[in-house]
Amino acid sequence: MKNTLKILSFFRNVVFLKWSSQIVFLVGLLYIIWSYIQNAVVNLEQTNIAFSWGWLGETPGVSIAEGMYTLPNSGRQMLQVGMLNMLRVTVTGIFAATFLGTFLGIARLSKNYIVEKTSTGLLEVVRNVPLLVQIFFFQAFVLTFPRLEVSDAGTYNFHVSAKGIAFPWLNRQPTAYLFWVYLLVILILANRIYKWRVKILEREGRETRPFLWSIGIFIGLLIAGWYGGYRVMGVIGFLAKYISTGVDLLPAIFYQTLFSSIAVFIGFRSTKKFIDTKKSEEAQGIYSDDDYFKIILNVIVVLLVVVLMFSSVGLGLSNFLVGDEIVFKADWGVPQFFDGVNNKLYWNPEAKIVLDAQLDGMKRADIINWIAVPGTEVTKGDVVAIATAKDLKGDLNQEISIYAKYTGVIEEVFVSNGDTVKVDEKTYDIRVTDSKPLELSRPRVEQIGTTSFKKYAVGYGKSLSVGYFAIWLGVVLYTAIFISEVVRAGIMAVSKGQSEAGLSLGLGRGALLRLVVLPQAIRVMLPPMGNQYLNLAKNTSLGIAVAYPEIVAVGQTLYNQEGQTLPVFLIWMAFYSTVSLTISTIINYYNRKMKIVER
Amino acid sequence: MVDLIKKNSKLLRESLFSSVGSSVLTIATTYLVINFFRGMLGFALTSDKDWLAVLNNMQLYMVQAYPEEDFIRVWLSVGLTFVLAGLSIGIWRSDDRVKSSQVFNSLFKGGLGVLFFTIIAPTNSSFMGNDGSVITEEVFSMDTRLGILIPVAIFCAIFFSLRFTNIDFSVNSSDMVFFYLFIPVALLWFIKLPTIQLDQNNERIIPDPVMPIAETTKIPWTVIFVSFLVSYFVGMYLKNIKSIKSIMSLSWFLLPLLIFSWIFKKPQIDMSVVLGSDLPVFGVFLLWGFLVITFVNNTIFKKYYSAYLGVTFLLTLVGVFSGLPMLAKTCLLLIALFSVVVPAVSTSSQGKRSLLIVWAVALVTLTFLLRGGASDSGIVVPGSSIFGGFSLTWLLAIFGTYVSFPLGVLLALGRNSKLPIIRIVCTGIIELTRSVPYITWLFFASVTLAVFLPAGVEFNLIVRVLMVTAFFSGAYFAENIRGGLQSIPKGQYEAADAIGMSPFQKISLIIMPQALRAVIPTLVSSAITAFKDSSLVTIIGLFDFLTIGKTVIGNQSIPVNFVGHDRENLIFVAIVYWIFTFTLSRRSMKVEKKLGLGER
Amino acid sequence: MSIIQTKNVKKWFGDFQALKGISMDVAEGEVLVIAGPSGSGKSTFIRCINRLEQHQEGQIIVDGIELTNDLKNIEAIRSEVGMVFQSFNLFPHLTVMQNITLAQIWVRKKNRSEAEEKAMELLERVGIPEQAQKFPGQLSGGQQQRVAIARALAMEPKIMLFDEPTSALDPEMIKEVLDVMKELANSGMTMIVVTHEMGFAKEVADRVMLFDDGMLVEENTPEEFFNNPKSDRTKLFLSQIL
Repeated sequence: MKNTLKILSFFRNVVFLKWSSQIVFLVGLLYIIWSYIQNAVVNLEQTNIAFSWGWLGETPGVSIAEGMYTLPNSGRQMLQVGMLNMLRVTVTGIFAATFLGTFLGIARLSKNYIVEKTSTGLLEVVRNVPLLVQIFFFQAFVLTFPRLEVSDAGTYNFHVSAKGIAFPWLNRQPTAYLFWVYLLVILILANRIYKWRVKILEREGRETRPFLWSIGIFIGLLIAGWYGGYRVMGVIGFLAKYISTGVDLLPAIFYQTLFSSIAVFIGFRSTKKFIDTKKSEEAQGIYSDDDYFKIILNVIVVLLVVVLMFSSVGLGLSNFLVGDEIVFKADWGVPQFFDGVNNKLYWNPEAKIVLDAQLDGMKRADIINWIAVPGTEVTKGDVVAIATAKDLKGDLNQEISIYAKYTGVIEEVFVSNGDTVKVDEKTYDIRVTDSKPLELSRPRVEQIGTTSFKKYAVGYGKSLSVGYFAIWLGVVLYTAIFISEVVRAGIMAVSKGQSEAGLSLGLGRGALLRLVVLPQAIRVMLPPMGNQYLNLAKNTSLGIAVAYPEIVAVGQTLYNQEGQTLPVFLIWMAFYSTVSLTISTIINYYNRKMKIVER
Repeated sequence: MVDLIKKNSKLLRESLFSSVGSSVLTIATTYLVINFFRGMLGFALTSDKDWLAVLNNMQLYMVQAYPEEDFIRVWLSVGLTFVLAGLSIGIWRSDDRVKSSQVFNSLFKGGLGVLFFTIIAPTNSSFMGNDGSVITEEVFSMDTRLGILIPVAIFCAIFFSLRFTNIDFSVNSSDMVFFYLFIPVALLWFIKLPTIQLDQNNERIIPDPVMPIAETTKIPWTVIFVSFLVSYFVGMYLKNIKSIKSIMSLSWFLLPLLIFSWIFKKPQIDMSVVLGSDLPVFGVFLLWGFLVITFVNNTIFKKYYSAYLGVTFLLTLVGVFSGLPMLAKTCLLLIALFSVVVPAVSTSSQGKRSLLIVWAVALVTLTFLLRGGASDSGIVVPGSSIFGGFSLTWLLAIFGTYVSFPLGVLLALGRNSKLPIIRIVCTGIIELTRSVPYITWLFFASVTLAVFLPAGVEFNLIVRVLMVTAFFSGAYFAENIRGGLQSIPKGQYEAADAIGMSPFQKISLIIMPQALRAVIPTLVSSAITAFKDSSLVTIIGLFDFLTIGKTVIGNQSIPVNFVGHDRENLIFVAIVYWIFTFTLSRRSMKVEKKLGLGER
Repeated sequence: MSIIQTKNVKKWFGDFQALKGISMDVAEGEVLVIAGPSGSGKSTFIRCINRLEQHQEGQIIVDGIELTNDLKNIEAIRSEVGMVFQSFNLFPHLTVMQNITLAQIWVRKKNRSEAEEKAMELLERVGIPEQAQKFPGQLSGGQQQRVAIARALAMEPKIMLFDEPTSALDPEMIKEVLDVMKELANSGMTMIVVTHEMGFAKEVADRVMLFDDGMLVEENTPEEFFNNPKSDRTKLFLSQIL
């Protein structure tokens, strides 16, 4: 009797109940998941489409309307194009929406009746109409304009047609990358100079004009850079080449061990740091389930990395580092753009050119002879190289001349692997770099080959496709409206007393907003602002509706081609999670920074 | 009156021209706004727009390809909704009154708006032809302008002067609803516009004959309006009946289910099955429920209550895996759950009565749904699905919210739970679902979901979309509700523990009511987002409201060529969406204010 | 016969030990006042008695039932022990009447009219019958605390625990709550009161205890405690508080 009572009381034990119910739940859940996966396996077997990632390496055989590569040579490259297209909208969109949203938010608080009502009216319209309808509307708006074919070929200041919108733009030349790096470096330098002058000011109590100093030096360096000085950064390419050669020399096992020990070290340090913070007086050494979970997660991640490193994955990675790929990349990939110092001629007899339009069935060309040598002067239209155009199978077909695109001194001539070269009446332009990294040019309408179709010439001005225009304007306006609400709420959250204190110090309305209200409001605004950025990033997926090739549209094209819906879905999930995580990490970073300032 | 003008002009000066910067802003904004509206009006009025493309396709917009002989089902659904709405407005009739001066004022302002647009409308407008040439034409002649201006100006003057007379009465604000609805219904009879008519050879009669805009629908709409009005008075009469409010809430809850089954199926019911199998099962379970309700708090029965529960659950378990008819299985499950709830409620005779009603209603609904659901439908629709146009948009919005809300509550509770495994799983589900845009989930529904289902099981695309939507908006609801849960102080949990409540009682009686009340605004905005997001199904090829406007009509060439007239339709679609979301958000703001008052 | 018995009760929050072995007895009908500086573990101790906190070592026996992980024992003890909190913890979405009847209906399974009758009776006892239909947010702090007491009494507990019931109140409201507590004490209810109100302790308590650093420092009758304390810690405490 007593024993049965004991057993009964065991079943009534709260600890037992807590864990048994959870385990039952987990087992049930796992069973359901397992049975669905089982279904998937059976179903896929029946339809003869086994789950695979092989298509990532295969040539998809479809073209993309716009992006880095219009004729991607692998599924992987095609996805990259989609991702970059998505990021292009997201990143520029976030800046534009923030700017416009802040402006609208302040307008909604304006004392001016008409300004306030107009911005509120805009808000009510944009907020209450589905984004997709708005995007369709913007698309329809551009499509109202006549077809490009009715315009004459030639150069315009501004051009709108059913194919898109084109306007003058600073187009980057091959060495522009060097200039961006240069710009970044001098920005950091100007910031440092500002801080240095402020330090002197604080220490010695004399006026040191920190702002003037930093802006002056910045402008001076900028001018110097624009006229050729930026090529100092070429040293990076120089270093990259040596480093990559060095990396190549070490054996694979070295990298496996190195990465494993780095993982162990980082895992150990973060766990230790975490435990140390919990030991502080405030935390009283209390660990919640979450904390244990974090520690366990740390351990699991570290173990996973170590196991992966010594499995085929790690071996593949190490072999990749040891193999020729990195050196090759340093030669032909990104670092080549840093190679501004030694002004040498790149001539790789193996170099392939992807032609951006079909020329009698030709899709790529191989350079067979460079005529131009660095240091010589060419005028626009001079022949710089001879190449053979080939069709996709690689059969030799016909010889073409490559013409200089600009007049100037040749400093380097190169065609990287897979670079796109322009078609112009059966001849190809090759760019001659002159000293400017960016060049202002006006849009140009040109004939496609010998057909009656026309297009905006690549590299002349900037042309936005209908899809890009519609999705960009759509998400920017839509997000800006929500941001304006966030800004308004943020400003209203700053107490009236703060404004009054500012006014009593004699600040003007503008200065009050800039110096007192906004810095405080930003603290309130940051988290909801981050949510809006996340929404913007997700909303770019509507690009598929207006034929803008972002990741979802590209993914759909791919699975229509290959039938692999599940892997594509997993890639979408991974990509969007990464983007979301990145955005929220950045927002959290600023949020934390703001909070530290507060103390 | 002079004072008023003085006061207003002073206000005007202060708000518009207080400083140089402000004056510049005022002028610039006014210029922009006027030009925007001029452009829009000019755009709408040019002869290359064919607004008949919108007007002539109303049926397509509303129900797509639903067979005409079954339209009565749609009308009945709409009518039932309006009757319920009328009853509810009558029962919850507010005591707020609208003053006559307010009414005059809004009429005056409306008139002013019309005047404004009439004045700024451009006389000439141009559009671009296909060859790129610009065609300019007169779109708004002086005669038309004056023809509108003069009567409207008189209208404005009347209402403006009425404000200063001694006429002073007030109208109940609930009554105003009928006034607002009366105008469009009356207009259906009187407004005449050119409509597209075909002759015997299926050729368009030119010029278009001028006919009332709602030749076919004005009678049903009028009947619905009248029954709306009648049910309003009935509602006022029923107001004082006890528990009428809970009955109404229950009816609103059941209405979508009823309409869904009503429109979806014309059940071809085999009466022999009904009499032979359904009726006995129904009777047995009705009796069972009745016995449980009557005797559960009897002292003798109470002793063996646990044993009874055990036996019932065992029976259910056995029954579910046996060869019983579907109805019996479901009823068994229901009675088991019902038996758990009964003892707490069935303490008074009133409680017993309402329990019995609930049980009977639940059984009737279940029997009807199961029998109807299992039978073949008599409605045959050419093309993909029965639902299309606005009815599909509505279905997605309502059912999306309907299914996802309880799911959201569960996920939020799971994520807030103290049990680590449940918390981690729920967090994972919520975050994974939210990390990806809705459109990728829709693709998942349309192409991937089928892979995971057991062989032979197939769902209609609409059902798959609903399944995915439930999860997607459920995750968003969960995050909103979690915000509410976190706003509840720990003391509330402790107080509930201290008076001996079980975890279930604690959540359902103390925590949830407070948490939900705290997040009503965010819940409503989430529901509005769900409504707007339902338009995304157009991308996966469902024929929702937007698809009809953008794609279907834009490619319509029979009987009249409307190809390329998608801009007019897009504007129409945008306006309809706008009306619904705008009204919804305004209403929710009012409700929010009311609740805020009641709370403290 | 003691109604509450604790033996060597210990409790840790992570590394921090909140209770370092508390042993005591409370007799039926006794009024026990626990005093001590903040952070001394007195609140934690009485929260352990009705299992709002979980003790990790030692024994707590309430009315012959030992408090273990057994669900049935926890339920039984909670139904015998009523608790009043520092921050009232009334349910803000329910009226005063609903606050008091809720647990009677759902936990005690009484019918509504019975429960309402009982609630009115209790509201009269705490002196605010006219507030029955108001929401807690419309009442003053003192009135809220009296409703909280009524809510706890509605469960007909044998023991009442008070966790600093007057700390969150304005001075003029403290008296009305203390009056209700005095009346309750005089009616023979077993009470454990954590409070800083030394006047209340002198007047009503049968015994006074001093907690410090998770330990029971002194246990005495009120006269002895205030006039002739045994330990130096008590003297120090009294000199600071009086």
